This record gives sequence, C-alpha cells and structure tokens, in this order.
Amino acid sequence: MEKQKSPYKWGMVVDLDRCTGCSACVVACQAENNVAICGKKEISEGRNMHWLRIERFWVGEYPNVRARFLPVLCQHCHDAPCEPVCPVYASYHNPDGLNGQVYNRCVGTRYCGNNCPYAVRVFNFYSHQWPSPLDNQLSPDITVRPRGVMEKCSFCIQRIRRAKENAEGEKRLVRDGEIQPACAQTCPAEALTFGNLADPLSRVARLARSPRRFRLLEHLGTHPSVIYLKGGGREHV
Amino acid sequence: MDLLGIFKDAESAANAVDGLVKAGLDEARITSLTSAPYPDGVIVNTDQRSWFRWFTLVCGIVGSGVGFLLAAGTAWVYPVQTGDKPIIAFYPTGIVTYELTMLFFLAGTMVGMFLEMRLPPVGKRPYDPAIGDGCVGISVSLPTEDWKLLAVKTMEEAGALRITSEATL
Amino acid sequence: MSEPGIPDVKSAGQLNDEMLSSIRTPTWKWYGLALFLGAVVAWGLAAFSYQMCTDMSCTGLDRPVMWGFYIVNFVFWIGLSHSGTIVSAILRLCQANWRRPILRAAETMTVFTVAVGGLFPLIHLGRNWVFFYLIPYPNQRGLWPNFRSALLWDATAIFTYIIGSSLFLYQGMLPDLAVARDRAIGWRRKLYNLLAMGWRGTAREWVTFQKASTLMAALIIPVAVSVHSIVAWDFAVTVVPAWHSTIFPPYFVIGAIQSGVAAVITLMIIIRKAFHLEEYLTPVHFDNMGKLQLVIALLWSYAYFVEVQTTWYAHEPIEWEVYSFMAHKYTFLLLTMLFCNSVLPIIGLCIKRVRRCVPAMLAITVLINVAMFIERFLIIVPSLSHKNMPFVWGTYHPSWVELSVTAGAFAGFALMYTLFAKTFPMVAVTDVREHESQRRLVPLGRTRLPSLVGKE
Repeated sequence: MEKQKSPYKWGMVVDLDRCTGCSACVVACQAENNVAICGKKEISEGRNMHWLRIERFWVGEYPNVRARFLPVLCQHCHDAPCEPVCPVYASYHNPDGLNGQVYNRCVGTRYCGNNCPYAVRVFNFYSHQWPSPLDNQLSPDITVRPRGVMEKCSFCIQRIRRAKENAEGEKRLVRDGEIQPACAQTCPAEALTFGNLADPLSRVARLARSPRRFRLLEHLGTHPSVIYLKGGGREHV
Repeated sequence: MDLLGIFKDAESAANAVDGLVKAGLDEARITSLTSAPYPDGVIVNTDQRSWFRWFTLVCGIVGSGVGFLLAAGTAWVYPVQTGDKPIIAFYPTGIVTYELTMLFFLAGTMVGMFLEMRLPPVGKRPYDPAIGDGCVGISVSLPTEDWKLLAVKTMEEAGALRITSEATL
Repeated sequence: MSEPGIPDVKSAGQLNDEMLSSIRTPTWKWYGLALFLGAVVAWGLAAFSYQMCTDMSCTGLDRPVMWGFYIVNFVFWIGLSHSGTIVSAILRLCQANWRRPILRAAETMTVFTVAVGGLFPLIHLGRNWVFFYLIPYPNQRGLWPNFRSALLWDATAIFTYIIGSSLFLYQGMLPDLAVARDRAIGWRRKLYNLLAMGWRGTAREWVTFQKASTLMAALIIPVAVSVHSIVAWDFAVTVVPAWHSTIFPPYFVIGAIQSGVAAVITLMIIIRKAFHLEEYLTPVHFDNMGKLQLVIALLWSYAYFVEVQTTWYAHEPIEWEVYSFMAHKYTFLLLTMLFCNSVLPIIGLCIKRVRRCVPAMLAITVLINVAMFIERFLIIVPSLSHKNMPFVWGTYHPSWVELSVTAGAFAGFALMYTLFAKTFPMVAVTDVREHESQRRLVPLGRTRLPSLVGKE
C-alpha cells in the first residue's frame, strides 16, 4: 500500500518576534470556522472552544517583566499521536499533510484529545447555540458541529479546498499566497505565514529555513507542520 | 434396550457391575450415572480418550484466520492513513488475531464438548432424580431381550433400590 | 462418634440441601434488597439518560482531563473481573482442593463485572447513539473501524472475555444444574432442564467434562491477562506523561488480580453469611485466600515502588511533574491508597489469626478495593491534568452524574449477582460432593486422620 502523493505539504510559520499577543487571529478563527461562542462560565470550567490560543508567559521579576506570547494551533503533525488512536477513523492524515477531522464520524471517545501533546483539540461538551441574529454570521462553507464531537484547527480547509478547486479548474497548482487561513489573513504584524512547504520557493518554506526555527515538543517526534521562529535576544531576560 | 438400576451407594453399584461382567456382559455396555464424579475404575472403566480437543484446535485455527481478516483485511479494504503508521500494522493485527483465536478456542471447546457428549439428546434416555441426591445409577444396554431377566436378577442381588427401563430424560 | 475437629460425614442429600439452600423461594428480605438495588440502578440510568439527552457538560470533564470517572470505572470493573479467572482457573489447574466452595462465586463475579465494565466505553462516548460505528460490520458506507486504535483492541478483548467467561461459568455449572433440575418444580425445573442439556452424569460425560473443564481453565487465563494488558495499553501507547510506561501492562494485570482476589474474599464473606454456608466456607479457605492476597499485595507494592522510583531517579521534568502534582493535590487519596493497598494487607495478612478472622478479612479486602479504585483515579486524572503544555493544565472533579452512574454500576452488579444467587447454585455442589466422597478417616499411629482417596 503506497502512501498517496500530493504536490502540497501545507505548513505554517509563526514568527514569535512579530507576535504582539493581540489575539486578532483567535477572533478571526472563531468567526471563519463557526467556532462556538463561550462565556465566562464555560471558560472557567476549562471548556473553551478556541481552535487557536495565545499562550502568555510572564518572564522576569518586576520591574523587568516581559510577556512572551506563543500562538498554539493544531500542529498538523506528520506522525500525529491523535490519528491512530481514533477508533472510527474520524482523525486521519490527509495526503496534503493535514490532520483531518471528520465531524460526522466522531463518536466522542476523546482519546485523540487526550493523546494530543499540544492539547489543541477541543471537545463540544456543551450543545452550543447561536441565538438569532448571531446565526447570520455562520459560514456556509463549514458545518456547525453538534455536541459530543471533537474539533480543532483545520488550516481553514474550506479555503484550501476552494483554492484547489479554482486551481484545478484553471489546470495549474495553487500559487503561493493564494490560500490564507483566517488567522494568517488577519494578523496585523504578519506573524503567521501559511503555504506549501513542499515548494522550496514559497514564502513559508524560505522562512522555515531560518536559523531561528524550532518546533514545539520536538522530543516527542510528532514532526509538526507548524514551525516557530524564536523571538529576538531581548526575550531572554 | 436400556435398563437402569438405582443403587444406594457406590459399593453396591460396584458389586452390581462386577456381577454383570461375571455374567458375561461386555463392560462397554455398562455405564454409571452419578451426580458427582468418581475416579475411573471405581464403578466402571472408561476409555479415557476424547476427540473434542481436535475440534477445539480446528476452531482456534479458523479463529486466527477470522482475526487476521478482521484486523488486516478490513484495513486493506479501507486504507486510511493515520499517524506515520503502516496501513496494516504488525502489533494491532497480532493482538486482534490472538483475541479472536482465543475466542474461537473457547467456543470450540464448548461446542466440541457437547458434540462429544452427544448433548442435547435427540430422544429420551433412562434417568432417575434420585441420582441427583447421591444414588448411583447403573445403565446397561442389553444386546437382546433374553439378557433382561439375568441383568435384573444380578442387580437385585447387588441391592438395587429399583430397576426401570423407562426413558424419562 | 466423630473426632474433635473432624466434621461428621454428611449424606449427599444433606449436602445438596445445604448447598442449594440459596435457591429456595426468596424471603421479603431478598425482595427488599433487590428493590433497593433496583432503585439505585434506576437512579444511575436516570443520570445517564440526563447526560445523553442534554450534553456532556453535566460531567466534570474538561480540557485537558477528557477522561474521568467513567474510565476509572471501566478499568476498575475490568480489573475486578480477573477474580474468577485467577481464583477459579488457576486453582483448578493447580488442583487445589480448597477452591471448591469458592469457584462458582468467583466465576459469576467475573461475568458480571465484565458486563458492567463493558458498559462504560458506551457510557463515556460523546455521541453514544452512534456507538455502532465501532462495530466491524459490512455497511453501505464502506467504512470499517480502526484496528490500530487501542480502543478497538479493548472492544475485541472484552467481547472475547465476556463470551469466554460466560461459557466458563456455564460449563462449570452444568452438573450442578442437573442436580438442581432433579429437585426443582415449576418454572425452575423448566429452566434447569433447558440449561442442563440432558446431562445424566454418565462416566463418559464426566470424562469429557473434566477434560473440557481443564482446557477452558487453561484457555481463559491467557485471555484474562491479555484483556487487562490491552486496557493498560489504552494508556501506555499514548504520549501522555506518566502513562507512557512499559510497566503498565504487567502492573495493571497485578492490580487487577489484587482487586479481584479481594473482591472474591468479600463476596465469599457475604454469601457465607447470607446463605448460611459456614460449614463450606471455613477459616481454612480464608486462610488460603489470604495467603494469595498477601502475595499479590506484595507484587503490587513492588510494581508501584519500581514505577515511582524510576520516574524519580531519571527526573524527566514533565513525568516528575505529574507525580509531584499528584502528591500535592491528592495527598490524602494517595496516602489512603498506599496504606490500604500495601501496608495494611502486607502486615495484616502475615498473621494467621488475622487471615482466619472473617471480620478482619472483610475489612482488609473492602479497603483494598477502595484503594484500587483510588489507584485507577490517580493513574488517569493527574497525568491528564498536567500534560506537556503547562498553559492548559487543569483539574477534574466528578459531577453528580458521574457519581450516580458509578453508584448505579455498583448496584447493578450487586443486583445481577443477587438475582443470579437466587436462581442458580452459588456453591459448586458437585465439586464439593466429589471432594466429600473421596474423604476417608484413616487410622495412623495414635489418631485417625482425614485423607483423600483418588488418582494422583
């Protein structure tokens, strides 16, 4: 059985030197992907639904305190721990290098959520509602997940699909910069770059070759598709 | 025809068997009916061989085939890439094959056991509820009607409580 | 006249009467118990229905602790199921005579604990109504479940074990059902008649039966070991810190035997009292079971010590963090577990007087199972609470729904057991009678000693 080949290997570079922690990406993701609106109660219970979170760490002692920001999203690991443990194939590996989540197949065992070392998977503990007129904001390109289903960042697969369909129609490959997930599109500091890592000339591939590069939890051998660039020297207080 | 004699204990039953064997009856036609087992030879000698374990073995082999098809076959038919793991992986296939082999072994033992015992029976055979309360039954399969009088006399001499040829179970 | 200490020889009828006394017509006390247990089960069902009809927010689960009490229950009940297998099967194979009165209680416990435990993977699903996605059957979607997932190994193993242990129980019960059939009337007679399959107890039937018995015992032991190893792999094959440990499968199997043997002793004490089986479940039996429990408690303590010691010495930050967190947040639970699982059994069961004292054994074994439940909790929850990314560390508290379902599970097991005890012989009648028929008093020197007549 051969692995299916694809000219695309989607990846993202997160430049920590540029990230200001403004959380515009979080809001954009929520708006684009029909992510549930969680209030104080749900978040204090540990049941927030953010697909992308900004981890904020305080470094140093007063008055030399600095905040460090780490946007964490689904790393779309090539050896994803969440994929083999799903008993119903709701979590699987896409030939394009994405970790796919099939909502209507998920039975809610939550094994994937436990096995994700980055804890990026969120579970629909609540049966979320969009009371009118909030339901007008829902994107028709993506489903609204019912209760009992696991969800997570998909690199805005609906945008990837749309771009791939257009490219196929025009009998070409997707061009660099044609796909922008909502977070990358919104980031005012251009800290998030998305593209095809398999194309050595793409912006994301060039940034990924930076000497500042690192990946989260590399020792676990998950081979994530998200590459982080370390912040500048002033971060190390 | 079958004759069933009920005896108070193993000693009188053993005497009856002795008497019947001396009278010329083939021991293979005599069997004991007890609700608790006695060691072989106390009342009757039985051939200790049994064949149902071969049946178990065959079932187990079938089970391993089923298990392999389930784990490896379904993955081959519906290949989905998960993690960096192969579609047909060694350990999962091994584990599922093992479990189903054991399941078929266990089920095969039960079925084989019943097949060898020839239970549940097709017709009725002689039985007496007193056997459940500790009495020993001696069942004789007589070759011809002429043997009946001799067999009854031998059993009565050994101390049979009652003798019947009625098939009730 | 009988020698002091040697009981009178009883007739078979008398033995039958005493051992089958449990299946007499039930008293109002029995009905009361069944009703109470039924009520608790109904409450548990109501709580579960509430969860299924509203959403999973009524549990205490959150991110990152996505497995809580339901999985604790799952592991605990499957662990308890090792009771029958280990006690009945191993003692059968070792031909230990003191197993005879205990067999049935232990085997029944196995079947019902697996049945209860096997429900929890269905209870904990977020979308229980599509549980059939987990079943491998050809369907028009062309989809099969993922056998690379440890949960499917679970499903296969538990399916095998529940069928295997039910067959094991039934097979052992066959001659007893015949005895019960011979004395029963009415609907009971019809039931036993059907189940006894026309068993008459001929010499050939006994030969086949005993061979099958040995074979089943030999087969069920590897199944039991594999079942709990697979449950252990649910945790060990992950990348969760302090779960990813090679000791988990043997550690879980040892824990299961610990839990199971303790539960068998507890059950023995209960049925001994309830069905007046004092002459069949004597202090000798508790003495021997106590020795078995001691060995397992020592093994468990060894396994736990080794696990913590290697983690402490290597001091990998995230692994040690899990243990450190557990020791700080769950100090009382941890100490209770260590005391009731290690210190108390090891010290208590070394003393013969304690082993032969029924109330002491009851206390020790109930505390062992309480400690084992805590142990499952302490394996599952602290590791998930403090996973690899500190920003999402969290906590977990069981909610009323989870506690109700847990109570319902205990009551459900007790109810099934109570119903079974009233319907089927609770002591292996023919096994005990086989033993009794082989006992003789033999004069030796100045005294007469009991001895067993039989083939070696």
